[in-house]
Amino acid sequence: MAITTQVRPQRWDQPFGLFMTELDVDRLLTIPEIAAIEESKFPSHCSLRGILKNDARIVKYSAGDIVIREGDYGNSAFLVLDGSLKVVLFPGLPGQMLGRRTIQKKTFWQALKQLWSRSKIPEVRDVKRYGLHAMVREAEDLGASHVFLQDVPAILDKNKTASLGKGALFGELAALGRTPRTATIFAESDIELLEIRWQGLREFRKYDQGWRRLIDQRYRTNALNAHLRATSIFSHLDDKDLQEVADATLFETYGKFDWHLTYNKLQSQDKIHGIKDEPIIANQGDYSDGILLVRAGFARVSIDRGNGQQTLTYLGTGDFYGADELFRVWQGDPNVGMRVTITALGYAEMLRVPSKIVEKHLFAYWSSGRDGFRQANSQSSFESRRLQDFIDRTLTDGALLEWAVEERFINGTQTMLINLDRCVRCDDCVQACSATHGGNPRFVRHGKTFGNWMVANACMHCADPVCMIGCPTGAIHRSMSGGMVIINDDTCIGCETCANSCPYSNIRMVSINDEAGQLITDPQNQKPILKATKCDLCADQISGPACVFACPHDAVSRVDFRKIEIDENSTGF
Amino acid sequence: MKIQQGFSLVRIWVYVFFGTLLFLVTWIWTYQIDSTLGISAFANGWILFGILVFLSLFSARKRLPFLPLASSSRWFLLHVVCGFLALFLFWLHIGGMWSKGFYGQVITILFYITSISGVVGLFIEKVYPRQLTRSGVEVIYERIPMEIAEIREEVESLILKCTEETGSSTLAEHYLETLRRYFQRPRFFINNIFGSHLPQHWVRQQCMILERFLNEKEREYLDKVYALAEKKRKIDFHYTLQTLLKTWLLVHIPLAGAVMAMVIWHLILIMVFFV
Repeated sequence: MAITTQVRPQRWDQPFGLFMTELDVDRLLTIPEIAAIEESKFPSHCSLRGILKNDARIVKYSAGDIVIREGDYGNSAFLVLDGSLKVVLFPGLPGQMLGRRTIQKKTFWQALKQLWSRSKIPEVRDVKRYGLHAMVREAEDLGASHVFLQDVPAILDKNKTASLGKGALFGELAALGRTPRTATIFAESDIELLEIRWQGLREFRKYDQGWRRLIDQRYRTNALNAHLRATSIFSHLDDKDLQEVADATLFETYGKFDWHLTYNKLQSQDKIHGIKDEPIIANQGDYSDGILLVRAGFARVSIDRGNGQQTLTYLGTGDFYGADELFRVWQGDPNVGMRVTITALGYAEMLRVPSKIVEKHLFAYWSSGRDGFRQANSQSSFESRRLQDFIDRTLTDGALLEWAVEERFINGTQTMLINLDRCVRCDDCVQACSATHGGNPRFVRHGKTFGNWMVANACMHCADPVCMIGCPTGAIHRSMSGGMVIINDDTCIGCETCANSCPYSNIRMVSINDEAGQLITDPQNQKPILKATKCDLCADQISGPACVFACPHDAVSRVDFRKIEIDENSTGF
Repeated sequence: MKIQQGFSLVRIWVYVFFGTLLFLVTWIWTYQIDSTLGISAFANGWILFGILVFLSLFSARKRLPFLPLASSSRWFLLHVVCGFLALFLFWLHIGGMWSKGFYGQVITILFYITSISGVVGLFIEKVYPRQLTRSGVEVIYERIPMEIAEIREEVESLILKCTEETGSSTLAEHYLETLRRYFQRPRFFINNIFGSHLPQHWVRQQCMILERFLNEKEREYLDKVYALAEKKRKIDFHYTLQTLLKTWLLVHIPLAGAVMAMVIWHLILIMVFFV
């Protein structure tokens, strides 16, 4: 039998910028911010030239073009090569201008009107509505689309803005931390930017002290204090002490930022190997050297069981672990190692607060008895008891969570979970969804199953919404009001970026029809116009998610896996 | 967040309590009216009519998922409790279990069939979902013909391949004689209703009797055909149970509509000729 061979895929097989040339790289190396980088510090397999050629690209924007939008997720940072930009600070651009959908709850009569106003033709659209097309223009260099602002002087009048000029770096915190962009930035004049994807940015931070200092300093200044302040164990600290904690905190990154691209491949792998391949953040039995805080992504908390690992729970953004073990060591218990193993689920950005700082600012406070959180006996602490509860669970009790972690359903904040023991397969949920979306259901009552539980193919409104990365018009975004991920049909250009990124296949591309039932096509090539569709959690309905509301048997729920528990007071009826 | 494994016990008992209370009040009221030589059928008849109207509204509620009219599960539970309440009120209203007069008897028959279909529906809605889950496959009802067609195609291509590869037509002949019919469309409908093991036995038997006539290579193909036949059996099981879960309403709702129509006509006659 002939053996199929292939050259082993390499990191830079698919460069970020298809048109980057050696001349471009030479030019970039003369720019002060890049020239200051010590080329010799980079290893040969990951040279500075290689990063610039493969992990970066030169992009051009015309005056008025939006470069990044507030609330968007992105995986690249920008260095200004030429021209100037404006950062919109306050009060910010209206959602409509950013391509967002304005959610307004329907009135009772508007809701009732849906009974007779829905069309029998699927996916009907009024083409006149798509006014934003006038605000989208093709970018010359990438074949991509840019949204531009039409009345820049008026925006400048109404908003407080800041300027960014040549040499400025922006977008790096959102790119590295997978957090939403905090401001909208648009081109004031025709500009040229160096866009660096997160992989390249990570290498810059890793091998160049200047970039590391710059990025870390910015994170410490802009986000770390707020993160620590929001963490319950540090909430008692005053500004000075908190700054000391922040200064000592270490940043760590585990796993792959673009885990979603390899998610389906991972699913076909042996589950035991799946866990063993996860990057280890802390190992069971090892000495604990600090408190671990999750800054972004997810981490699995597991213990050794038999020849495998049993998942106890998982940590998400804002969660922390390790105070308990450290506290016991501090109290003089010599045989305390980590009780659990913590591994990155796909990708995890961690903060490690070193033990010395924790002892100084936390344990001294706890032992003073001023905080009811911690008693002298650490076994009685909430964290310890909670962990013990997880450990005491039988394999059967924890099986559903184990499965949810394995399938990465933990990413969902509103996962559609169907109890198949109660579901009579009547499709009332699908019909209700259809009735509230103009006759077009936005989910499929089908999906992966575990025992009597099914996670249906409905948008889970993820904590880490990878579908939002790369949307050129900002049509897919997180609602500021309810936190759900929604698509603005008016500004969706049908590029399929979101549908291809969704690891759970919960976004569907549909061709659209006019009111006469005729397919709407692009006059240039006669291809059908596509729109991305998905569950919007009935954001504009007064009754809430229609699927849940319409189920006569209470079989459908929208859940966050970490928060669910089976109601013992419910009957089998 | 708590996930319901069933309806809340508290909610069930509250509804049952109020249902029982309403029945007792109506009963005592009826007794009082009867003891003063009044016509109690007017009083309990109106209450019964109100309950029947409420029962009919459940169907309308299902068509209005966008209105904040309480969740469908609350309506369902109330529908069940009120359904039983209606039966007791009906007996109270007609003064026994069988009505007098032809028109009344027709209503009684329709009412009983509606009630029985409701109870049967409730029973299968509580029993069948678990059986469907335990079958180990999950399939959307509308996709079943497609699934069966896919399985059939796969089986036939396996058998062709087996014939080509082994030069033996034993498996193909057996398929044409027996299995082909099985793979044509859903089978064992009645057996599946009662959860009989006959389909499982039949599939195993059809494959077993063939084994002794096959060589090792052919047996490998037979194993694959058996696996597909088993998958088809499970889909047949889904077909039967899902068909019943969907069609019992086609009996219950039209009959309920007929009962309502006759009750309204009964009410008009009473109002015109007796009041």
